Amino acid sequence: MRQLFSLFLALLSAASLSSAASDYHEQLVLRPLPLSTLLASFNFRSNITLSSFEAHNFDLFPRSLAQILQHAGTRELHLRFSLGRWDAQSWGARPWDGAREGGTGVELWAWLEAETDEEADQKWRTLTNALSGLFCASLNFIDGTRTTRPVMSFQPEGDHPNATMENMHLLYGVLPHEVVCTENLTPFLKLLPCKGKAGVASLLDGHKLFDASWQSMAIDIRPVCPSGGECVLEIEQTIDMVLDIERSKRPRDNPIPRPVPDHELKCDSSKPYHSHGTCFPTDYSAGQDWSLSQIFGKSIKETCPLTDPSIPPVCLQVPESRSVYASQGSTEKKNPDRMSRCFEIEPETGFEMILPRIETEDPAKSAAVELVKPETPLLYAERSFTGHGQERGGVQTILRNPSLDTEVEFIYMESLPWFMRIYLHTIEARIEGHFGEQEPLIKEVYYRPAVDRARGTQLEVRMRVPPASTVFLTYDFEKSILRYTEYPPDANRGFDVAAAVITILNPEKNGTRFAVYNMRTTSLLCSLPTPDFSMPYNVIIFTSTAIALAFGGMFNILVRRFVAADEGPEMGSTIKEKLGRRIKKLIEKLVKGKTAEKTAAVETKG
Amino acid sequence: MPARRQIDNGAASAKTTSSQATVSSIAAPNAPSNGGVADTTSTRKQPPPEKPSDVRRRTYVILSFWVIVVLLGLPIWWETTTIYRANLPLSEMLDWADGKACRPVFPLRISIQANSLHEQEAQNLLRLTQHALDDLNDFSGHHLRLQLSPPAAKETEKDDDGAALTIRLIPGESTTSTLDPYAPILDITYPPHTIPSPSSSSSSLATYVATQLRTTFAEEQAIISYLLSSHSMPSDHRPQGLTPEAADSLSKRTTRSLKYAPTYHLTFSLFTSGPLPSSWDIEAAIAEFMKPVLDVLSPIHNFTIDTQVQLYATPGVQSQVLTKEDLSSFINAAEWPLSPSIGGAPTINFIVFVGNQTIHAAPQGTADETDRTSQSWLIPQWGTVYLLPLPSDTTHVSAEKLKQSLLTFTSHLLSLTGTPQSGSLPLRLSTLARIRSADLLLRASSTLGSLARLALALPSISIPESVADGVSTTMSHLRLACETLGGPEGLAHARVAEAEAERAFFEKSMVGQLYFPDEHKLAVYIPLLGPVGVPLLLGLLNEIKAWRKRRRERAEHAAKKRE
Repeated sequence: MRQLFSLFLALLSAASLSSAASDYHEQLVLRPLPLSTLLASFNFRSNITLSSFEAHNFDLFPRSLAQILQHAGTRELHLRFSLGRWDAQSWGARPWDGAREGGTGVELWAWLEAETDEEADQKWRTLTNALSGLFCASLNFIDGTRTTRPVMSFQPEGDHPNATMENMHLLYGVLPHEVVCTENLTPFLKLLPCKGKAGVASLLDGHKLFDASWQSMAIDIRPVCPSGGECVLEIEQTIDMVLDIERSKRPRDNPIPRPVPDHELKCDSSKPYHSHGTCFPTDYSAGQDWSLSQIFGKSIKETCPLTDPSIPPVCLQVPESRSVYASQGSTEKKNPDRMSRCFEIEPETGFEMILPRIETEDPAKSAAVELVKPETPLLYAERSFTGHGQERGGVQTILRNPSLDTEVEFIYMESLPWFMRIYLHTIEARIEGHFGEQEPLIKEVYYRPAVDRARGTQLEVRMRVPPASTVFLTYDFEKSILRYTEYPPDANRGFDVAAAVITILNPEKNGTRFAVYNMRTTSLLCSLPTPDFSMPYNVIIFTSTAIALAFGGMFNILVRRFVAADEGPEMGSTIKEKLGRRIKKLIEKLVKGKTAEKTAAVETKG
Repeated sequence: MPARRQIDNGAASAKTTSSQATVSSIAAPNAPSNGGVADTTSTRKQPPPEKPSDVRRRTYVILSFWVIVVLLGLPIWWETTTIYRANLPLSEMLDWADGKACRPVFPLRISIQANSLHEQEAQNLLRLTQHALDDLNDFSGHHLRLQLSPPAAKETEKDDDGAALTIRLIPGESTTSTLDPYAPILDITYPPHTIPSPSSSSSSLATYVATQLRTTFAEEQAIISYLLSSHSMPSDHRPQGLTPEAADSLSKRTTRSLKYAPTYHLTFSLFTSGPLPSSWDIEAAIAEFMKPVLDVLSPIHNFTIDTQVQLYATPGVQSQVLTKEDLSSFINAAEWPLSPSIGGAPTINFIVFVGNQTIHAAPQGTADETDRTSQSWLIPQWGTVYLLPLPSDTTHVSAEKLKQSLLTFTSHLLSLTGTPQSGSLPLRLSTLARIRSADLLLRASSTLGSLARLALALPSISIPESVADGVSTTMSHLRLACETLGGPEGLAHARVAEAEAERAFFEKSMVGQLYFPDEHKLAVYIPLLGPVGVPLLLGLLNEIKAWRKRRRERAEHAAKKRE
């Protein structure tokens, strides 16, 4: 009976495993961007059935992460490590519509299952501490002051049963000061079933990734219940980076940039002053040529055998007309949109790809042939500080809607540190160039004021930007003075203020997706009045002197006896004379002693 | 010009002389005009005598300042700068650590079931066996006490009376003994003629039973005596019978076993150096081969289990034949995700590594035999690695193929938890419970001792109230554990005591001790105390001087008056 049972179990698990194994997929999408840059998007997705997750049979699902999720009662988790700035003006819309992106530093939000808020806070602390150990990041510094509970900006992405939905608490923490680096990439790669050893993940290398102009690493874990199938827990790992091609092509052993030799300079010969001695460099994007091994330092050695064969591992987004050379063992498949193609790689073979330069006479034309024109984002946003001085300041966000006919409605969320006390009454949104009466732009405000040293400010604004217009969102704030020990060692650098989260709402209210586009502004650096750090000792000395002065005077007046100048002891005859007299006496004593000895000696002789 | 200057100089000197003249002119009427600087002071005008009320007022002023300093200033300073140190029973704690507070005694009751004997005969046999046992025993801490179970006792009722072992005496052909593999029962057969007569003072059967008992419990005795000796127990508790070799093997075994924890976390990992195999039947294999042992261990430990598969895991050693030195670096700690599990429980790792590496055993071993048997090795306090050779195209590891590795893991689990090696399983487990309670008791005592020594060594460390609470709970539980040692309550109390002692020792607020060097204190105090303290002190000294002078004068005055 037992054997039969075990056989049954074996069959069952084998069936589930085979399906789980094919559920893994990975893909690299390369998209050349203007100004000689290249966007590389790595995407890895695997899943595990909820039943085996709960039975602790993790198989290929990362055990370390799974245990943390179970221990902290986490139902859905989103973790972001980002660096740099996405240049929307030239690069266009963000990859994944901004859904896999975070603000500079580390961002974490999760839905925790808990009965009460206190329990949720407790679990959140467990989660941040554990993740901090796993990803070698200072996530444990996400404390009460850096945690908010967003009300409007986020919606769970996964399919949660209604029973757990009621007890789910969303917590959001952000560390803008964190510098993302190689030590965060290594644990990230360890979570992959093929590690960094095979498949597209083998291209990932800390030197290249953190040399990028912009990069974002994301981990998203959510339960997914396909209709009619068993619920699975899906982990999606994404790395997006924008590489500067010229910089990436520099050899590893000789990374110092050197001036280009004369004969290799690309000059714009249409300029009137173009001659042998003068050169106007052509636009960077002219003639983008690279190969995988040039850009990443290596090519793909072998494919990861676990991947779903139906999904091509490498895709390239260049116009169909452009020719691309790929290594043997791969087949090129052009997609019907005529703007991208994918490569299928046979198992156990490597992959290398070369994008040759296009030689054209007209540089204006070549851009259209070479590149897919970047998509215009739904909204441009820029945030900066205004005002001057150490006491007050202001924040101004410029939101521009490039579309000519559609209005954009979005939620603007700020989680500010407690030492920036904002004046909510100064919050104002105005359209550039309009001064008369207008329809209010701000539709809804959720504001949770800061509590000193315990909680940061949370501001969520639901607002709209009319078509083809620019909106200025401004508010003022006051800087508070910190305590001596609250300053970091590099206090004069300033304090990082986390990026604002902009979630553009789906215009179709009952659509499947809550947000159509996400974006983050850049983070800010707020300078606070910084004290001189030898201050405490100065204070001690100063107060002591003041007290001593007051006390000494008062004590002397109370205790001393006042007499006429000629009645007291003479001024000159104080210490000096006393000392002189003492010394004289001493010498006299010594001399006397000696003579006495002598006389004694004489007497004995006599 | 030079002439003019001279005139100026002359004028200046004239001025000074004139001023001197005026001074001396003032001084002149009072003193004989000897000149000389020394004499001028005595020639100065004396101030009018002070009013006694003024003198008294000055005294009051100085006294009130001092009263404020002493009654208000000092207490405030003391109150704000003192470090809170809760009262710890230091001497008692040190007594526990030195083993003076508790003499660990394990009274083991052994019931003899002799259904075929008469009451009288059985009593006699029991008396003789007890005598023989006492003669054999050289370790007072471990005591075997025999008792006669009523002959009518049912099998089921026997478990309730808490006997460690039951001896069933069965008449038979010859004197033999067999240990029941599933229950703590020792079956001894005896030829009827060996029953001692009521008058005899010795009996071969009694000696035989005593020796059998002694061998059964020999290992437990050795381990417990080793534990006691490794902790600083006074020498009269220590047995003498421990040979250096035995002590050596015991120390090896105790270093191998994990620290006691109520829950252990078992992690089963399949590692392969390539992409295959990517799945295994671990759930079924555990259920079949390991679950029975885990169930048996459940009264002492709880277990949680998780499993994982890791591909592309390169071992730390690349060579095909692993030598003894290679085994310690085989685990690639930097790359293999074997992080201990989250939560308090310690993790035991069981690794199946798919690869055809072989272990090259010590050269004196016969090659064939070792090659076949050594596929696994145990990493002390950490877990086990099992090398599983598989054909390179295997994608799925079936439960049947995992059988050998899981059986190895099971036996290694027992030694990792510190289970003794000889005897039947139930006996080994009950021994384990006793060893663990002794171990915990000693551990908690030594933690208490460390805490006491720490408190003595660092006078500036603060000791919060919670530490004192923890210490008192530990001690009360230690006392209870010491009384009930050997029983199940003993283990429970020892567990609580150990946990509380650890909590008290690792109190967070105690660890974060602020460091204030003396120079800093000086730098803070001097600017205030210098300018304020010096006038206060000088005022007091002057006042005392004046008071003594007044008293002397008054005495002289009185003496004069009397004259």
